[in-house]
Amino acid sequence: MSRLPAWSEAFASDRLPDLPALPLEDAREWAFGGSTGAGVSLAIVDSGIDADHPDVGGVASAVAMEPDDSRDEGYRAVEGPHEDLYGHGTACAAIVRSLAPDIDLHSIRVLGSNLKGRGLLFHAGLLWAVDHGFHVANLSLSSKSESMYAPLHEVADLAYFARTLLVCAANNQPGPTYPSEFASVVSVACRPSDDPWTLSANPKPPVEFGARGIDVEVAWLDGGSTVATGNSFAAPHVAAMAALQAVSDNAACDPAEVIGSRDHPVSCGS
Amino acid sequence: MSADDLSRSVAAVRELFDAAACSCALANSDGAALTFTAADGVGATEVIGVEVPVGRGLVGWTAMSGQPVAVRDVRTDARFARDIAESTGYVPATILAAPFFDAAGEVVGVLEVLDPGIDTSGDWPLAVLGTLASQLSAVVAGGGPSDSDQRYSTLGRRIAELVENHRG
Repeated sequence: MSRLPAWSEAFASDRLPDLPALPLEDAREWAFGGSTGAGVSLAIVDSGIDADHPDVGGVASAVAMEPDDSRDEGYRAVEGPHEDLYGHGTACAAIVRSLAPDIDLHSIRVLGSNLKGRGLLFHAGLLWAVDHGFHVANLSLSSKSESMYAPLHEVADLAYFARTLLVCAANNQPGPTYPSEFASVVSVACRPSDDPWTLSANPKPPVEFGARGIDVEVAWLDGGSTVATGNSFAAPHVAAMAALQAVSDNAACDPAEVIGSRDHPVSCGS
Repeated sequence: MSADDLSRSVAAVRELFDAAACSCALANSDGAALTFTAADGVGATEVIGVEVPVGRGLVGWTAMSGQPVAVRDVRTDARFARDIAESTGYVPATILAAPFFDAAGEVVGVLEVLDPGIDTSGDWPLAVLGTLASQLSAVVAGGGPSDSDQRYSTLGRRIAELVENHRG
């Protein structure tokens, strides 16, 4: 029996020796040296962000996608401050902030009060991120809906061509989920590590990267914190690292070009 | 009553995790709430039939996001505590939750485990729960609880088999 969430097996300790490892400190310095995330915009497409949470440090913008049957598109975008409905978006935002203290965080809330149309709101949130030119969008959500396969594929392609990097959490359960399995996004699963800078690449996609996501202390509701496990918490680590390398002293590519590095299996961290 | 079979399967999951409680909430037809349909363990009697809005709480998050999650120290979350305390009078410290889906990939419900007795600092509990939830999806596929007599029976057998295999 697997002892890791689905898609995390590639990063199990007994398999990591199969992956070539980079000299950790040198690699990190090269990749992220001099970067605090300043000048990079990163959207958290999730349950909203508690901008006042001390671990979040404010947001540059916020928008909530809400169902609206009176509109042809079936939703409306409500701009302005909002709360985090569950705590999850705040957790993801705080993870990004912890690695990239000067990054511009943007909250795109796509989770609401009804399961109907959730795929539509996911899609709307991603479209918002692309239309507004955000460099990176973190999506710790997924859909198994067959009806959303094509729309989410389309917006993922739009993001790719618009150079908005979509970093998506793989699902912990068996079976396909979207958009995390599309070639145009970066797909992330959690792997054992206490090091927030841990980054492993899986040479056998669709899940490409492993990062910390097991028993992570994360920001939560009401200014508090909790300890959580899930691929949801691995994705923002990778999203932040993609943002950092784009503006590091040795920046060789923008966040979207992280996709081009996926065929170079490396393992950094403990 | 076929729901008894679902209750037995939930009881098997609770035993597998050595948990204080295990419950299954199914999405209402209007998509605005989930109703606890089967439960076993502490507060089981009280929670069955309880409706929770999908717009808040860990169960709601799990259904909305489509992502399994494990959270410890949920007692620090005031909003969560109200959700559960109002329903059952029991406030767990640790929750594992995984969604399950119908054949078209739409969320049908959430399977959750409260206060597992196993060591939750490991990484396998979420994998196991996710696998069990995917078994639920295979059975529940195609509809909700209203016409699910046969599916409940099949589900009960499958979960029981999984637990027995795990022990073996």
